Amino acid sequence: MVAEVGYGRERVRHVEQGTATQGGRLSEVRWVAWRSLKKLTRNPILLFFSLFMPLIWLVLFSQTFGNVFSGAARAQLPYDYVAVLLPGIAVMTAIQSAAQSGFGMVADIETGFMDKFFVAPIRRSSVLIGKLVADGLRMAGQAGIILLIAYAMTLLAGWRIPFATGLPGALVIMALAAAFGVAFSGLSNAVALKTKNTEATMMVSFTLTFPLLFMSTAMLPKPSLPQWVRDFSVINPVSYVADAARALVLTGWEWSAIGSAFAACIVFGALLNGWAVLAFRAQGK
Amino acid sequence: MGSLKRVEPGPQAPANLPRATRSSGASPAPRGAPIIEVRDLVKVYGGGNGRRKQEEVRAVDGVSFTVHEGEFFGFLGPNGAGKSTIIKVIATLLGGTSGAVRVAGMDVATQGPAIRRIIGYTGQSVGVDGELTGRENLTLIGHLYHMPTDLIESRVEELLGVLELREAADRQANTYSGGMRRRLDLGAGLVHHPRILFLDEPTTGLDPHTRNGVWDYLRKLHRDERMTIFLTTQYLEEADRLCDRLAIIDRGKLVAEGSPAALKAGIGADVVTIRLPRDEGFEANRARALQVVQKVRGVRKATAFDEGVSVHAEDGGAALLEVMRLLDAERVPVQQVAVARPTLDEVFLQHTGRAMRVEEVKPMSSAGFGQRRR
Repeated sequence: MVAEVGYGRERVRHVEQGTATQGGRLSEVRWVAWRSLKKLTRNPILLFFSLFMPLIWLVLFSQTFGNVFSGAARAQLPYDYVAVLLPGIAVMTAIQSAAQSGFGMVADIETGFMDKFFVAPIRRSSVLIGKLVADGLRMAGQAGIILLIAYAMTLLAGWRIPFATGLPGALVIMALAAAFGVAFSGLSNAVALKTKNTEATMMVSFTLTFPLLFMSTAMLPKPSLPQWVRDFSVINPVSYVADAARALVLTGWEWSAIGSAFAACIVFGALLNGWAVLAFRAQGK
Repeated sequence: MGSLKRVEPGPQAPANLPRATRSSGASPAPRGAPIIEVRDLVKVYGGGNGRRKQEEVRAVDGVSFTVHEGEFFGFLGPNGAGKSTIIKVIATLLGGTSGAVRVAGMDVATQGPAIRRIIGYTGQSVGVDGELTGRENLTLIGHLYHMPTDLIESRVEELLGVLELREAADRQANTYSGGMRRRLDLGAGLVHHPRILFLDEPTTGLDPHTRNGVWDYLRKLHRDERMTIFLTTQYLEEADRLCDRLAIIDRGKLVAEGSPAALKAGIGADVVTIRLPRDEGFEANRARALQVVQKVRGVRKATAFDEGVSVHAEDGGAALLEVMRLLDAERVPVQQVAVARPTLDEVFLQHTGRAMRVEEVKPMSSAGFGQRRR
């Protein structure tokens, strides 16, 4: 199927014949992810504000609700409310980034860049997976920065956060944030692909973000929640992730909690990303 | 909507009818083997059932044509004619509703990935990533085509040079002018040396100077690399200047096909345009003028249009004298007359009964994808 030699044709014959499998699928995913991460570095302000909000929350919430543990309770506990809140904030950062995941999708569709992916000889799923890989790395990084700042505050401002599992625990929290964020990205991407509209994507994602956060154990431990919220929190994946992360900060390695958290991310992520994949496949049909 | 499928064979390309059986390939005109074959393509948007039901739009209505290897082929038609839809189906970006489309012998419905390796596509909206630099945009495309890194580097460097983007190569593309973005987008379609390049309205929204630059480069590509180029355009001049062969498309149907020269020759010989004063007597005068001019010897066809009457005649000069004499005798006031060689304007008018109107498309960045774009 190779034409008579035209200029440069000979050099790319392997492209036409499909024998140039420079790493195949992995390479496709890698380059799609590379692009997303590169774009991120071009938007330092966006990156800053995506961290700024959770940090404000961390400070405000820990100050405002700090006296949830008042008087005697406060004196007995070896940690501050901020230590209870910290894992929730890490999850919240991931949710926020996940909610924005679809924006890029809408932008790519609007500018026609998506056609560049679709007309290239790569698998469509590589486009979605590459984007999720970049999202996951970003979310893990954000969670890491939140933890780092909180750790700095223990040294500088005397916040009492035990960090029971140390650095390995912090890495697991980062992984949890990434897993949960990637799972939740499916929703944002699916809505983005269905509506092709940034506002709609923002509305749906943000409308769901807050109920999910507050109807979970992310902000307060289970015993402090009203009964109906406690009931809902059982089917809310945010709770599983928050509980596991909280245990890692406050008490130590609770493997069953960690296992449940990752399992929740997998179930939740399979559902939402499955929906996104269907929406993605339907493009151009 | 006329269902006539008029095809102008033209002197050099005999029997180039869409559904004609391809006889032994011995016909003189085509340069190479058929590389794009479209048969009875239909694309219907909308429809569906239940609460999602939308009004059905038949964007492409039974289109057939063949493009040969090495040809510079063009689709000419107004906005909404179905050009983009057809080019997207051939470039594997959109599925057709029915019909058969083969690219280099491969079926677009089942062999998309293999087809994608040999084609380049530059869409109507400029699909460059503004946050990446020009160089990064091109490099990324090279990797998406699984090219080896050293080959990508040399190819990107080469493209930046020919597209005159070398100085801006390491600046983010959102700092580029419209023309530079267009050129970069064109480059993105060329990184992997495609055998066929698809260009969907490549110069829409460009200033005349930049447009000329793009034309020059496309001619060079076609000449030096023997690339098959398939472009859609709503600019008559672009179609006339660039394309070896044209298909005129209107409302989802192919209405004429042939080389620009053959299409123009098919009109007759010359076009005499008679403009009448736009006063209260205009309608009556135009009706009388239409009757009168048909009596003139050598007139093949006379058509009324919104400013007067257009006459196709074998010898425009001779016909003009006769026309003027008769109109004078009939006391039909005339404002202006002109004789011209036919342009694609007249070709379009003849085949569709309407003048070709160029509408500038919406701003490039907001042109939707997957929306109902015809």
